[in-house]
Amino acid sequence: MSDRMWRAVSVFRVLALGYAAVLIIADHNRYAHPAGGIAVLAVMAGWSAVTIVAYARPGRRSRWLVIADVAVAAALIMATRWVDTPARIDHGAPTLPTFWAAASVLACAVAGGPWAGLAGGLAIAAADLAERQGLPRGSLNGTVFLVLISGLVGGYVMRLGLRAEAAVDKAARSEAATAERDRIAREIHDSVLQVLALVSRRGRELGGEAAELGRLAGEQERALRSLVSPGPLAAPIGQLDLRLLVEPFACDRVTVSCPATAVLMADATARALASAAGEALDNVRNHAGPDARAWVLVDDEGAAVAVSVRDDGTGFDPAGLAAAARAGRLGVAQSIVGRLRGVGGEAILTSVPGQGTEVELRVPRG
Amino acid sequence: MCPEADRPVRVLVVDDHPIWRHGVARDLAEAGFLVVGTAADGRQALRIAGAARPQVILLDLHLPDISGAEVTRQLLAADPGGSVLVLSASGERQDVLDAVTAGASGYLVKSAQLSELLTAVRATAAGQAVFTPGLAGLILGEYRRLASSPAPGTPQLTPRESEVLRLVATGLTYRQIAERLVLSHRTVQNHVQNTLVKLQLHNKAELVRYALEHGLE
Repeated sequence: MSDRMWRAVSVFRVLALGYAAVLIIADHNRYAHPAGGIAVLAVMAGWSAVTIVAYARPGRRSRWLVIADVAVAAALIMATRWVDTPARIDHGAPTLPTFWAAASVLACAVAGGPWAGLAGGLAIAAADLAERQGLPRGSLNGTVFLVLISGLVGGYVMRLGLRAEAAVDKAARSEAATAERDRIAREIHDSVLQVLALVSRRGRELGGEAAELGRLAGEQERALRSLVSPGPLAAPIGQLDLRLLVEPFACDRVTVSCPATAVLMADATARALASAAGEALDNVRNHAGPDARAWVLVDDEGAAVAVSVRDDGTGFDPAGLAAAARAGRLGVAQSIVGRLRGVGGEAILTSVPGQGTEVELRVPRG
Repeated sequence: MCPEADRPVRVLVVDDHPIWRHGVARDLAEAGFLVVGTAADGRQALRIAGAARPQVILLDLHLPDISGAEVTRQLLAADPGGSVLVLSASGERQDVLDAVTAGASGYLVKSAQLSELLTAVRATAAGQAVFTPGLAGLILGEYRRLASSPAPGTPQLTPRESEVLRLVATGLTYRQIAERLVLSHRTVQNHVQNTLVKLQLHNKAELVRYALEHGLE
């Protein structure tokens, strides 16, 4: 940032030098001392070369060099009084260095911020007024103000730029640190998952109390695995990845199968579908028998999304509706159907005694 | 226990976790399998597989050097006679799908019971695909994804295959599916196997096409 600003000052200085050279060469025959005009131009060119070389290296950008820069510019402005004729100066002829003097103001701004820029601008403006021996005639000649403002604004921009650079730098550092923490977390999670899976398996094989420990380890393994899998990455606003709502249903007795890619749905639809699936699973827990297992499948058919919940429990005969109603299963089924109708979907319940129950929930993509 | 008692199934165990590697190798040896080697990373696995020619490579997807899918591809390129069975703990879905489309014949989570693991290794040695409900869900999802942007040569499921895959994904065994659809057990197995093979062929064709387009050897 700093280096680039100093380069910009040098570029400005060279361009301003060219502009001043054109004016001086065109006008020098009208000066009181034409040779003096050429001499001033030579000093400007020489000083430009000195500062361009000096400002290129951070170590050489001393406060004294900047002050000298302003002093040289002010002196050359004052020299106009000696080189040019009083008549031309009174008629508002430009100073010999013209905009070239502003380069030293910009140098102040870049080196020391807005207040240093303003101070440099004041010095150059003062030299300008002294050379003219009063305010320029007619409307306020903008140059004085331009010089002041360029010092102030240049310094302010410089400070903003440095702050922005620091902020970007800090953000980049923190991002790198986060990425590294994530990587370490993944490594640790993987190790923990491995051990939990091992405890879970060995425990079950040993039986008894060890089996209980194994079961607990298995539960924690599943919980951790769902945490480790990548989170809700940039779902569009108002949409949800249905998988993130259904995955938490997985446990010792419930297996959840999903596609590898996100199943994006309207927020409300996804929530209705997931709650309906949750109710179906509650139903399994309450009515399908203590050993029943359940499987949940999320199937993204494109035009619609289907969630199937199947259990291998006792099941019931759909013909014996009265019995089902007595067992409290029908109420739940009706609640599921109602929930899905609310979002334009349907629920189909099939059951065979002894072969479990299957609930298929399907909602068109709105 | 093994298909041919006098010639035990040759297995290579690849896992960067030493406890698992040794535990699984011991379990397999006790069950009558011949563990021809163990490897802690992909490169080692490729080296040992080249020399020991295992029938089944039990592969953890989380290896320190090469991705699970790439190890699978290279293992099968070096020895098309071998089969890769993925056994992974934290295998994210996409990693599992990538390994399976790269040619692995099945997938088990590490928390599966020992009996399930032994059955799976035997089935893999016999050239069968090992489909858990989770894997069936992934395969079904992949076909749905491909169908959403169809291109010439994109594999598709037949209605029957789609039906069978959904039933596997909702936890039915091949026997139960055969009963329900009035098919033979063998036919159900073929349908399941076909869904996987079509994806693997498509994946291979895509890789070849990519290589040709980019002028790779």
